[in-house]
Amino acid sequence: MIEPKILVIIPAYNEEESIDNVIRKIKYYSNVDIVVVNDGSKDGTAKKALKEGVRVITLPFNLGIGGAMQTGYIFARDNHYDIAIQIDGDGQHDPLYLDKLIEPLKQDRCDMAIGSRYVEETAYRSSVTRRMGMIFFSWLIYALTGWKIKDTTSGFRAVNRKIIEYYAGSYPTDYPEVDVLVRLHKKRFRVMEVPVEMLERQGGSSSITPLKSIYYMVKVSTSLVISSLRSGGMS
Amino acid sequence: MIFSVYMLSIGFSILFLLVIIEMVRKNKLLEKYSLLWIFFGVILLLLSSTPVFIERIAGLMDIKYAPSVLFLFGMVYLIVYCFHITMVFSKQSEKITRLNQELAILKEKLENDKQNKEGGQGG
Repeated sequence: MIEPKILVIIPAYNEEESIDNVIRKIKYYSNVDIVVVNDGSKDGTAKKALKEGVRVITLPFNLGIGGAMQTGYIFARDNHYDIAIQIDGDGQHDPLYLDKLIEPLKQDRCDMAIGSRYVEETAYRSSVTRRMGMIFFSWLIYALTGWKIKDTTSGFRAVNRKIIEYYAGSYPTDYPEVDVLVRLHKKRFRVMEVPVEMLERQGGSSSITPLKSIYYMVKVSTSLVISSLRSGGMS
Repeated sequence: MIFSVYMLSIGFSILFLLVIIEMVRKNKLLEKYSLLWIFFGVILLLLSSTPVFIERIAGLMDIKYAPSVLFLFGMVYLIVYCFHITMVFSKQSEKITRLNQELAILKEKLENDKQNKEGGQGG
């Protein structure tokens, strides 16, 4: 079998504290191409990433995680990659699990593999409210798609060529992780969870503050229900 | 009393129509967005210049104060137009996002190609 062309996409917004470490770690564990999508950062993210010898796409202004990731997928599509993996720039996703995440794609057992914190007992600790949110989203996704996905918000994901092409054409703007599951279900893609350990973020702060989390829940839920009403053909 | 509201309404719609036409003429408003406004101005002008018509509608809808039909019409129209604007705006956001992405990718490719060329000459 021909080795697939693999690309790691790192979306980064003001991650100068962690970005170089993330890139070094990926290079240490795996020999893959890396592209950083610098989402209009105001700090030295781009400079630090360039120093590590990777390609850096700098968006003229901040688009948010959805727009940034889609940029990566367009890049992956245009440069003929077979597999694209999202690894966040904050160091939460451990590149140690890269191969484990890619494996089911290589064997064509699924179209997207999600690195999940909760499939097996892992050391990852999270707050009670966060856990409740997770359970709620899992339940909602189950109700809308019939998929039993435990870590619906995990951004640590690998997708194959078919989904790269789909994402390049259409990807939700903000908080895309959960939303996209419903869309993939509509399009009859196969999704699988792979157990991984996640690390504490190395720098910066989470984009989700307690106050924002309520807004997040309401927004994502609404968007999920609307997505599920959408016809499969809508782009 | 009633007469003055109608007069005001007539004056307003005429002025409004003139402003719209002037803006389109000066290229400050696109034709396709001016159509709904012109439509609005013409209907308002018709409604306010023929009070009989509006009183007839008020009677049919059991509205005690006939000129409120004008307000009702204005309000409904504004809501519809606002909705139309948000739809236009959504489409534009999407286009701007796409432009942003394509521009960023192109810029990086240029930079990358340039570097490869320089690297090639050096080695």
